[in-house]
Amino acid sequence: MELKSIGFLKEVVKIFRIKEMGAIIGFIGIFILFSILSSEFISWENLLSTFTMAAELGLVAIGITMLMISGEFDLSVGSTFAVVPMVLALSINNGINPLLGFILGITLGAFIGYLNGIITLKTGIPSFITTLGSMMFFRGILLAITGGFPITLLEHIPFLKYFGGTCIGDLRYSGIWFILFSIIFAFILERTQFGNWTFATGGNLVASKALGINTDRVKLINFIICSLMAGFAGITTFSRFKIIDPTLGQGMELEAIASAVIGGTFLSGGYGSIIGTFLGAFMIGMIRSGLVLAGAPAYWYRAFIGVILVIAAIINIKIRKKIAG
Amino acid sequence: MINNLLVEMKNIKKNFGRVQALRGVDFNVGKKEIVGLLGDNGAGKSTLIKILVGYEKADEGEIYFEGKKVSFNSPKEAREMGIETVYQDLALVNLLPIWRNFFLGREIVKGITLSIEEMKRITSEYLKEIGIWVRSPDETVFFLSGGERQAIAIARAMYFGAKLLILDEPTAALSVGETRKVLEHINNVREKGLSVIFISHNIYHVYEVADRLVILEKGIKVGDFKKEDVTPQEIMNIIAKAAGVILKEV
Repeated sequence: MELKSIGFLKEVVKIFRIKEMGAIIGFIGIFILFSILSSEFISWENLLSTFTMAAELGLVAIGITMLMISGEFDLSVGSTFAVVPMVLALSINNGINPLLGFILGITLGAFIGYLNGIITLKTGIPSFITTLGSMMFFRGILLAITGGFPITLLEHIPFLKYFGGTCIGDLRYSGIWFILFSIIFAFILERTQFGNWTFATGGNLVASKALGINTDRVKLINFIICSLMAGFAGITTFSRFKIIDPTLGQGMELEAIASAVIGGTFLSGGYGSIIGTFLGAFMIGMIRSGLVLAGAPAYWYRAFIGVILVIAAIINIKIRKKIAG
Repeated sequence: MINNLLVEMKNIKKNFGRVQALRGVDFNVGKKEIVGLLGDNGAGKSTLIKILVGYEKADEGEIYFEGKKVSFNSPKEAREMGIETVYQDLALVNLLPIWRNFFLGREIVKGITLSIEEMKRITSEYLKEIGIWVRSPDETVFFLSGGERQAIAIARAMYFGAKLLILDEPTAALSVGETRKVLEHINNVREKGLSVIFISHNIYHVYEVADRLVILEKGIKVGDFKKEDVTPQEIMNIIAKAAGVILKEV
């Protein structure tokens, strides 16, 4: 009897030690809060549309989580989120094969990540500055090309359905992609050599180098992953609205970083989780729809996110100090 | 002639601009020998070691490892030959568990996936084998004491086939009890057939485990003694004298 209860206690402690504990508690808390505030919140309809919104943000946040764990930063994801689908939209409108347009857009995404990475790593300036620069640069390019006007898709392109169209009921394909990429990157991060090196590079750069890890390469790959994911997320949003607004993705970088931090990832690198980010992005989505359903003016959304972000960061630190191990 | 030396550094000179960091130093390490490298700040200890492991190039002089002439271009090349350096604070990633640290950069992989269970098992078994007790290989290094971290870094170097272990100030910032444990581990290292270079400010710590003591001062070797031939007090006097301070004979 005694032994059994000790074994049970050990299991409980083990559960509490998992990295995502803070995110799970927060997630449940917010879910309960909005369920009480609005009866419509827990309807399937609302949860699925909330999840779709969360997915488009979450795809960006997955990439940024990888990069943040390796010890770098990307503020340009919002601009990448807009210019990649812009290339796709312009290609289609100019009669280029949509698939080729898709490849062109994704290639541009990879290129932006490569550029961010190379400049940061070769010159030694902080990625915060490099990517702030590229955020403004690519937003400027977008504005220059569009003249500040939205680009509307001129024809119906069937294959876009698989990025932003509905799949089962209100669930959109972007949600499926979000789940799929979350699993893939959680696997890469926790169970491959590259994931191990990503943690090590962000956790202790000097030690990683001394152990023969090519830390520059690890970071560069994560810069590229981050931009690719941002570009892909942009395509899912574009596929839903069929329009590129020049302000598309503005402010997204901060929401994506917030998703990662709410999910337990450190701004300083070396610690984090994709599952946590998944929950973090979903949480932000719930706050957005929950506030609307609860009848709060939409303006409160940002304020609420800000408070949650700070609380999450504090909880993360406390939890980690006490029971992480 | 059968050479019983693992490392032989001959007439090493190194200038940084106008500063003569090393002015023709000879330095040897025998097989299974623990050599204490002593000297004040700026005496040239770390420059000598950096040259040995390939961080820096000597201006003049030759290095032999296992009787063969070598010239390492990077610490990585030195490591491949079996020279491992353990730095006080730079060796481990604190936010990662022990097993991930143990295999960092040399992970066991099956296809593309890490063989996590196997690495955990080996880490546990090896640490137990050489007398380092940890609760679990899953424990985050952040929660270990300074001495435990040092021990794990030493164990890692041993497991991966080091022939020469260079310990940079391994007992700095450790409590008395922890220092004792680390010194025990250094003795274990020799029993496993490795050689050790032990760099430290603390003459007593070095004296306790070293077979031989080498003293550098201002880029010159001012002493090279077998432990039996010298007392800690005498070493202290040599260092003080070289630095221009005359201590009273006790």
